[in-house]
Amino acid sequence: MEKASLTGGTAPEPVAAGLWAGARDVAPLVLGAAVYGLAFGVLAANSGIAVPDVGAMGALVFAGSSQIVAVERLAMGAGAGAAILAGLALNLRLLLMTASLRDVLAGRPWWQVALGVHMTTDENWAILQARRAAGQRAGYWYLVGGGLCLFLGWGISTMGGAWVSGTIPDPRSLGLDFAFTAAFIAVLRAMWRGRESLLPWLVSAGVVVVLTKAAGMDATWALILGGLCGAGLAGMRGDG
Amino acid sequence: MGETWTVILGLAAATFGVRLSGYLLGRSLPQRGPLARMLNALPGSLIAALVAYLLVSGGPREGAAALAAAGVAVVTRSLPLTILIGVGAIWLLRQSGWPG
Repeated sequence: MEKASLTGGTAPEPVAAGLWAGARDVAPLVLGAAVYGLAFGVLAANSGIAVPDVGAMGALVFAGSSQIVAVERLAMGAGAGAAILAGLALNLRLLLMTASLRDVLAGRPWWQVALGVHMTTDENWAILQARRAAGQRAGYWYLVGGGLCLFLGWGISTMGGAWVSGTIPDPRSLGLDFAFTAAFIAVLRAMWRGRESLLPWLVSAGVVVVLTKAAGMDATWALILGGLCGAGLAGMRGDG
Repeated sequence: MGETWTVILGLAAATFGVRLSGYLLGRSLPQRGPLARMLNALPGSLIAALVAYLLVSGGPREGAAALAAAGVAVVTRSLPLTILIGVGAIWLLRQSGWPG
């Protein structure tokens, strides 16, 4: 980690090697993402979205969970504005992810910053942080290599799901709807930093359960409030 | 059709705006202190909140399958394997008709 921060921005990272390492390390996660990409494609097609539009959405938005939530809201007749807001709320966490990449992105030309932030997802962001925590080198091209690999996998799987949606059974009957929950559990495991994580996470989870179940608050806002409460507790404890 | 493209373009612009704002915000934030610690803890807290919400929204089958997935995640730390076991478990539970 010390090495990475000392050399950050000065010693150039080999482009091809960085791209390859990022793509290689993220590959198992791409297979996982493809499972829920497929399920999302079926959901989108069942909501009346054409295959090319599913591809365009993946390329332009490139944030899986928000696409799922937005299409679900749209299918439930919530209207475009509410669908965008629900997806946007889920994506507010990306703000904190790209904020944490400041030393990866700083000092780059504007188009590289734009590409880098668009290619930032849970998966390649998490493996970049994990690799750096292990003291190994992971820079801008590592991020982009992983992002491009996910970009391709997401596009192919979501369009594939939309394409075959008429011919395969309802994904719920196959249990595919549960892929989202399982994936988030796995991401949570990857983010576990030991005991210090426990109390903030319990607070976060508790706030969401109380706000949605007891107070009847909309999930979109309950999730943000819960996340902020948990993180706020972690920030106020002086042990970080 | 029009509504679909409104959502695609609106969500795309909003999401890119969030991603770019994060980078700009990160450049101007302190490296240490309570705010930095809060930002570090926020991703995990947000995902903990989401998992909690998904669990209380589901029934006992979803809860049991989530327990199986969590066990696999803790032991293997593998995303594909966690998804595989989670989906397999919920499929089996729904096939079996448990609990009644």
